[in-house]
Amino acid sequence: MHRARFLWLLVPFAGLVELGLFAKDASRAPRITEWQAMRTEVARLKRASDLLVVAPEWADPIARFAFGDELMPVADEARADVTTYARAVEVDTLDASVPELDGWGVTAEHRSGRFRIRVRENPKPEHVLFSFLSNAHPPFLDVTAGDAGASERRCVYSEHAPSSTGGLHGHLAFPRERYLCGGEAFFVGVTILDDQDYRPRRCVWAQPPEGESVRLSFSNVPLGRKISGYAGLSYFLFRDGQHDPVTLSAHVAGEPVGSYEHRDERGWHHFEFDTERFAGQRANVEFDVRSDDPSDRQFCFYADTR
Amino acid sequence: MTEKRRLDAFDFVLALVLTLAYLALLLNSVADLGYARDEGFYFQAARSYEAWFALLHSDAARALEPGTIDGYWSVNHEHPALMKSLFALSHRYLWSGLGLFREQGTAYRFPGMAMSALGVALTYAWGAREGGRWAGLVSALALALMPRVFYHSHLACFDMPVTTLVLVTSYAFARSLKGRWGWALTTGVLYGLLLDTKHNAWLLPAAFGAHFLVTGAAHAARELRQKRWAVPNAFVAMALISPVVFYAGWPWIWHDTLPRLREYVAFHTGHEYYNMEFLGHTYWKPPMPRLYAWVMTLGTVPGVTLLLFAIGLVVAWKGRARSTPLLWLFCLLTCYAPWWSDVTPIFGGTKHWMTAYPFLCLFAGKGFAFVAERIRALGPGRLWAELTPPVVAAAVLIGPLCMTLHSEPWGLSFYTPLVGGAPGAASLGLNRTFWGYTTGALQGFINERAPRRGNVYVHDTALQSWEMLRQDRRIREDLRGTLDIASSSLALYQHEPHMRRVEYETWVDYGHDAPAAVGTFDGVPVIWVYAR
Repeated sequence: MHRARFLWLLVPFAGLVELGLFAKDASRAPRITEWQAMRTEVARLKRASDLLVVAPEWADPIARFAFGDELMPVADEARADVTTYARAVEVDTLDASVPELDGWGVTAEHRSGRFRIRVRENPKPEHVLFSFLSNAHPPFLDVTAGDAGASERRCVYSEHAPSSTGGLHGHLAFPRERYLCGGEAFFVGVTILDDQDYRPRRCVWAQPPEGESVRLSFSNVPLGRKISGYAGLSYFLFRDGQHDPVTLSAHVAGEPVGSYEHRDERGWHHFEFDTERFAGQRANVEFDVRSDDPSDRQFCFYADTR
Repeated sequence: MTEKRRLDAFDFVLALVLTLAYLALLLNSVADLGYARDEGFYFQAARSYEAWFALLHSDAARALEPGTIDGYWSVNHEHPALMKSLFALSHRYLWSGLGLFREQGTAYRFPGMAMSALGVALTYAWGAREGGRWAGLVSALALALMPRVFYHSHLACFDMPVTTLVLVTSYAFARSLKGRWGWALTTGVLYGLLLDTKHNAWLLPAAFGAHFLVTGAAHAARELRQKRWAVPNAFVAMALISPVVFYAGWPWIWHDTLPRLREYVAFHTGHEYYNMEFLGHTYWKPPMPRLYAWVMTLGTVPGVTLLLFAIGLVVAWKGRARSTPLLWLFCLLTCYAPWWSDVTPIFGGTKHWMTAYPFLCLFAGKGFAFVAERIRALGPGRLWAELTPPVVAAAVLIGPLCMTLHSEPWGLSFYTPLVGGAPGAASLGLNRTFWGYTTGALQGFINERAPRRGNVYVHDTALQSWEMLRQDRRIREDLRGTLDIASSSLALYQHEPHMRRVEYETWVDYGHDAPAAVGTFDGVPVIWVYAR
């Protein structure tokens, strides 16, 4: 009991301990100049086809600022997933790591300042034969809107269409290079949507006009075992799931190979169509997008053959 | 520990010093604090009200016509008018008239700063009255040195003014319980002003009612049976005087009163759900997390203040004089009460229950007095023991002081060591910023980098807030704020997860994803800018 009296001294001591912890917390994350100092080393390690990732995820804007978009291009930042990358350079700090690379091997690792740099290898990288997103332009792609027959009309490709952005509550960015199908929102072109974690996903915008379909015809596509893809709408705008679904159907050489029905609240969602019987061949591939819901079907998808 | 001591002249001097010192600190730290989104709307309202005051001065009859009133007072009529009127008068007399401030924005902000400083002083006064001078001082400084309180104290908003008015109304109510009509009438007037400040006011009668039920209802019932009036006079004053003060202070409700009041109440009881990140999840519709208010309090109020609060609570519980601590407790719980429900929006972060913080600090002051007394008792009569109060006070306040000074101008990004500071909070997925005020932290870069007559996409910064930055010459006069990324040459982005889609629009439109500048707090990115 006599000694217990001294326990009250712990209160002012706690104040001083908190001060010390505060000072430690305030200085424990690397500063921008430290990230910048890493650039040369990271550039040396990263090959052209490598993915460069950082952890914790919240440091990503600093990394993009420090490393530049040559090392962290939009295509990598807004990737559909990591399955097609064979190798990644991971720069992490604060004992964090990139969850997407769980299961990847570590082929090299060293520390530099407050960073850990690791070269990671994908144990089962998937080889992409043809990316529909990367080839969403002439001469590979032809776009028509409206149902087959008299109402079908060809969309015109432009490299200088007026760009447009919707801000927080509006549509995704409308790129300058796009197929114009009549009406500002009715086009096909590459943009970026926000997925269910509000992360970026690069995709081909294909909003079906009211009650009609929009058809994307890719010519002479090298085919593998499957068409792999993801589909979604801006999660922020459509997360309440109040609209009817959108259906994406795929045909290879005129034969149906599969269709995927997307509900908005799913966010960025994976689909696959079996193309085993066409493996090793080249053929035309058509994607047909439609919805019974006449309004605001701001559908966007990624697909490749592998 | 002294209880219910009478304040003397030194106490009043100390309260005045606290007021002036806090005001000076606020004014001294405002230069790179950008204007928050809501401030922009209140600037706009204050301008309109100021024009009405000018008309009232020149042509009172016309100013009082219903159509004229509607023309000027319909702006931002979802909030009552007291603070916006003070913003307007401060601008009219202190900026236009006396030229006291270099920047218009600071003139608009001044009433909020003054109210915040008064809140600190009043916390001292009540704390000193209940627990002694040192208790009062620690209470007041614990409040002043909460980083989030410090941030909000700068603003031309209502959150700190309503905090001060809840406190002062409660103080008057406590004093009125001795049966004095003077304090009861003061309570009535103050509660009217509180109603005229923000809708948090609606909660306070519940605290007073609960206090009365626990401390005086049985006695009152006995008295009433004897046909003697024993309900606190303050209740009568609040019922009769407060509505009149409320009505008089808000011209918008001078006609069509009931429909407009209904609209006012409906706006706040049916407020839309803005997005808010909490523990890695963005909440945008009910159910909201019931732990939100508690976790955010733990994560943003210095831990030593919370420790003293906990001690103070126990001390008060065991103490003899329970009426005032009970009132503090009911006020505190009432201020938090809406967040016990999972349908209450959480978009305001900590500011919506900041009204509870003075009471939390009053308990902390009580806790401090108790601890200091126990430590002093370890060496009775010794010199070091006599120095216990200032030494212990310094030990428990130095941390909050450093945290608060360090948090400027990133107040809403601040988190305590309990969650690992700003980096820990970012890793936990706690909100990093909202309201678009951090533009002020990058004003130097914007001025340097933007092309002549360029458009700057302002993102979450309200255009009115941007305009104020421009008028105050904090942003170059030739730069125009825009909400259209496509027409911009610089694009700001203030991070909240649900807003990232705006950043992606910038990537598509600008053709790259590398920011030209990043504003960080303790190594955590909060705002960044893209250049075309």
